[in-house]
Amino acid sequence: MSSSADLNTGVARKSRRSDRRRPRISGLGLALLAPALFLLTLFFFAPVVLTGIFAFTDLSTSTGIGRGQYVVTPNLLRQLGDQGLTEDDATAIASVSITIDEAGIARATEGGVDPDFLSEIADRFAGESFDDPRAFSRELRGLPNAPRRPRELTQTAEYFETSVLNTRFDNPEALTAQLADVAPDVSSDTIAWIVDRSYTGARFTTANFERLATQKETLRLIGNTALYVAATLGLFNVGLGLFLAIVLFYTPKPVTSFYSTLWLLPRITPLVLYAIMWKWFTWEDGFLPIVAEQFGLPSFNYMKGSVVTAWMTMISLNGFIGASFGLILFSGALRAIPMQQLWASEVDGANRWQQVRRIILPQMRWPILFVTSYQTLSLLSSYEQIWLTTNGGPGRTTTVWALEAFTTALSNYTGNLQYGLGAAMALVLVVVGLVLSIIYLRLFKFGELVSRPKIEL
Amino acid sequence: MTKNFAIFPLIILLTIVSLPIAVMYGFLILDTFTDAPPGELWPDRFTLAHWRFLWDPSVVGNVWKAAGNSLILAVSIIVIVVPISSLAGYAVSRLNLPFRRFFLAGIMVMHAFPAVTLLIGVFFVLKFTGLYNTMIGVILVKGSLMLPFGIWIMKGFYDAVPWEIEMAGVQDGASRLTVFRRLILPQVKPGLVALSVFAFLDGWGEYLLPRILAPGSDMEVLSVFLNELVQADQLGYDFNLFKSVGVFYTLPVIILFVLFQNRLMNIFGGGTKG
Repeated sequence: MSSSADLNTGVARKSRRSDRRRPRISGLGLALLAPALFLLTLFFFAPVVLTGIFAFTDLSTSTGIGRGQYVVTPNLLRQLGDQGLTEDDATAIASVSITIDEAGIARATEGGVDPDFLSEIADRFAGESFDDPRAFSRELRGLPNAPRRPRELTQTAEYFETSVLNTRFDNPEALTAQLADVAPDVSSDTIAWIVDRSYTGARFTTANFERLATQKETLRLIGNTALYVAATLGLFNVGLGLFLAIVLFYTPKPVTSFYSTLWLLPRITPLVLYAIMWKWFTWEDGFLPIVAEQFGLPSFNYMKGSVVTAWMTMISLNGFIGASFGLILFSGALRAIPMQQLWASEVDGANRWQQVRRIILPQMRWPILFVTSYQTLSLLSSYEQIWLTTNGGPGRTTTVWALEAFTTALSNYTGNLQYGLGAAMALVLVVVGLVLSIIYLRLFKFGELVSRPKIEL
Repeated sequence: MTKNFAIFPLIILLTIVSLPIAVMYGFLILDTFTDAPPGELWPDRFTLAHWRFLWDPSVVGNVWKAAGNSLILAVSIIVIVVPISSLAGYAVSRLNLPFRRFFLAGIMVMHAFPAVTLLIGVFFVLKFTGLYNTMIGVILVKGSLMLPFGIWIMKGFYDAVPWEIEMAGVQDGASRLTVFRRLILPQVKPGLVALSVFAFLDGWGEYLLPRILAPGSDMEVLSVFLNELVQADQLGYDFNLFKSVGVFYTLPVIILFVLFQNRLMNIFGGGTKG
């Protein structure tokens, strides 16, 4: 690149001179770049940041996304009772008070209480309050328009009851005020404690990472992921890819193009169909079990029936996709080997194995390193194929880290999606992914790829 | 290649290794036109019954509507990826920008970076912007996740254009924008075509994003449609039917691939699939 620029003396010198000065910034460039920057910020940068933030929360389906509210529930009081809330305080907070006010009248009107009766209540008791529901009911019964049936009477009385329990507050101050009102004897420290615990929204916590660091499941996930990446990469992406590339290097052209196309098929087949084909291939009444039965071998659902066959299925179905990546890259590298080297070795009497071992393989070091590093990253994070086939089963024996993060946060059967925990697991992958990609960029000579633009105008 | 070594054993070896794929794809086509007795592999009669879903909606539902939705998704992704990548690719290839090196490094990292790990974060972004459960959200996400790849590919094509062409245009008094539009864009047409085809294939095959980010959308795409079909059928899996729908689904991919094979091979070398 730079040598060709040197030949074109005039402009090249000019551009080099402008390099030495402060280069002029192209407004047009910024304008052309703007739409890309906008979308990348929104769907690349923002997700990374949000993953980082939500990894430190306990966000889940039950907390909901968005602002939480403050609610004291009977359940919460019971929990707090176990943690040292006194019986008296609990009773005081749970107590019901009766106030005859506008809000109560409005609630009762909405509930369909006789308007005449209500106006009597409003005239007679406006602004009063009662501590005991039964006393209030007795008072009500004395009114001329009171309903006969005791049930209706109790129902009417209930519209005027106010309780902190199960009432939703948007901010902590409102709940604190209400609690102090209802239970004046409870100390303000206790009230603050209850208010804090009554928050239903997500809160910041490091519990996700503590859980990941302490639970036994983590080790198994890491083990599974390592086995999956290493086996797929070693056996297929590099192993089979290299084998195919070298064999197809030697075969005549029609054979080469036939098998190259065949091995490219898994890569271009849409994933959903590819998963269906593997189900047909490995499920009972599918291809392999039928063939195995005819040979008297154990025949069952290989994809889900046993741990070993599930692993073999999972690795090969990913590996068949990955092999073509290696095949394409290695084939390109093989074609770049000067033919004279191969001819010379044959003249010197080398057999094919020696040719491969001594001439081809040493020159494949960089392509192998590239495929290994690039595919490590993509296997570490890939779960779509596994999700559509074994889905981590049987049990959880083939669950890898990325699949677990995904199912925890976005797709599981119980319906309680733990966004926070899932984000924490994804954050680990994001960090690993970023670090590895930066290392690879250094490794594969990033500097040459980003040489300065040629014309600075 | 050299003719000094025997070829035959190699071909045998190759065939054995490739057997699973050959079997899977052979039976994929075979099973859509034939029926086999239960519990057997080899078909004993020819039938077109598995293709009835094409004109009879009572078999699996309206497959044409799903195909139309997939088409909309794939074409929308082209509309996002190709123009934005070709603009940004030109900017990073030829123009002087602040933090250009940093931006290029960022694009490279994003290109190498496995975008699926961002799905949880993307889910939050869609929730907050109100695009969750809409096809527009899926299109924007898919298009954006393809951008680093697209910009990188387009930069490669622009880099290969001789800059004398631009120089000549600028000397003749054309503005930088006119030069780009009239002189450079025609030079990178192969790149635009390849990127469009690739974007289409990627959008057409996409399953995860529509399934997770727009589960309640009215626009059910063909990939989701096909997988629902498999999951709904709890008793007696009719693989011949699944395969027929699957082949119908894959047909555009095969056609595009045959048409653009050579151009795509280069791009697949830098592909992103596991």
